Amino acid sequence: MNSSSEIRSANGPVACSPPGALADLDATLRLIANLPAPAGLEDRVFAGALAAPRGGRVLAWPQPMRTRNWMRSAAAAAIVLVVGGGGWGIYSHVGQREPAHAVVMPQRLMPPGEFSTAGAIRTPQTLNGPILQQQQPLAAPALKTQPAQQKPAVKTARRKATATSETTQPAHTAKKPLPGHRAVTPR
Amino acid sequence: MSSTSQAIYAGWMEIPNSAPNERLRMRAEEDALAALVTEYASTLYRVAFSVLRNPADAEDAVQEAFLRVLRHRQTLAEVRDRRVWLIRIVWNIVLDRKRRAKTRPETDDVAELARVLPSNGLSAEQLASAAQHHARVLACVEQLPAKEREVLLLSAFEELSSVEIASVLGITESAVRSRLFRARNLMADLLKHARSQR
Repeated sequence: MNSSSEIRSANGPVACSPPGALADLDATLRLIANLPAPAGLEDRVFAGALAAPRGGRVLAWPQPMRTRNWMRSAAAAAIVLVVGGGGWGIYSHVGQREPAHAVVMPQRLMPPGEFSTAGAIRTPQTLNGPILQQQQPLAAPALKTQPAQQKPAVKTARRKATATSETTQPAHTAKKPLPGHRAVTPR
Repeated sequence: MSSTSQAIYAGWMEIPNSAPNERLRMRAEEDALAALVTEYASTLYRVAFSVLRNPADAEDAVQEAFLRVLRHRQTLAEVRDRRVWLIRIVWNIVLDRKRRAKTRPETDDVAELARVLPSNGLSAEQLASAAQHHARVLACVEQLPAKEREVLLLSAFEELSSVEIASVLGITESAVRSRLFRARNLMADLLKHARSQR
């Protein structure tokens, strides 16, 4: 028991010299901590502990079996074997069938005396739908004729170009050079 | 206690499984329990009361603690310090009960406290005034964070060292000291605030 009036506490100035507020705290806590136990507490607690069921035993073993631990173990093992074996027996007898992987289509039965379809199946045209015909505008013929007119124009331009080149070409360049003379090419 | 029962108590945890008689074994257990109850019941009651602040609840907690001891009597041989072990059991029970009874109003009733407090020659009026004062201080204690409050409450027990408090709470001794320091600082502020409001 501590002789000092302070509660044993942590280091520091707060603990060493408690101000008035902390002195009140110490006094209250000490008072609560030192409250006397009610009379007859031990007897009541002891009687209550004895009256309560001991342990939480699910099975009450017969008296001769209590002293023999190996019999308990054997009995427990037998119970486990019976339960486990029974479960395994049911499982192995019932079994589980695997579900079919492919779906079998029902076979069509041909009515007697009629021709078969020879396996022909009508396929509805769902992907390629009807094509919408667009009305051509009035200016479209003019556009179509335009490239036709341009083509001859190009040809005539080429012809004109070749004709002018032939006429503007100097006469000496057209002739073959004489032997012994070197051809002078303009740089 | 007789010499035979002393001998049984001393070797309670060493009672061999091959006890000659089941009745003798039961008797030995009862004697050992009686010795434990006689020695530690009042300490456990005070620890329980410091948290619950209700005599009936504290007694129930002590009862439950000894029932747990009976349930785990096979492992009691490994316990080094039975006092700390028992306080730890009752502490866990008490905290669990308090957690469950959170919806209930606090039991810091002034009249209840006045009934429990020792009179020490005080008049009824003085006793009521003292109870009111203690109730105010305890209300401030309740405002502390749980960790600090637990350490503060246990530190009030003179029979518990800081090492033992650490063992009860499952923390280190330095943690006990720091929490106690924080708790006392917080309490100083709370009590100052409460005084200024009066």
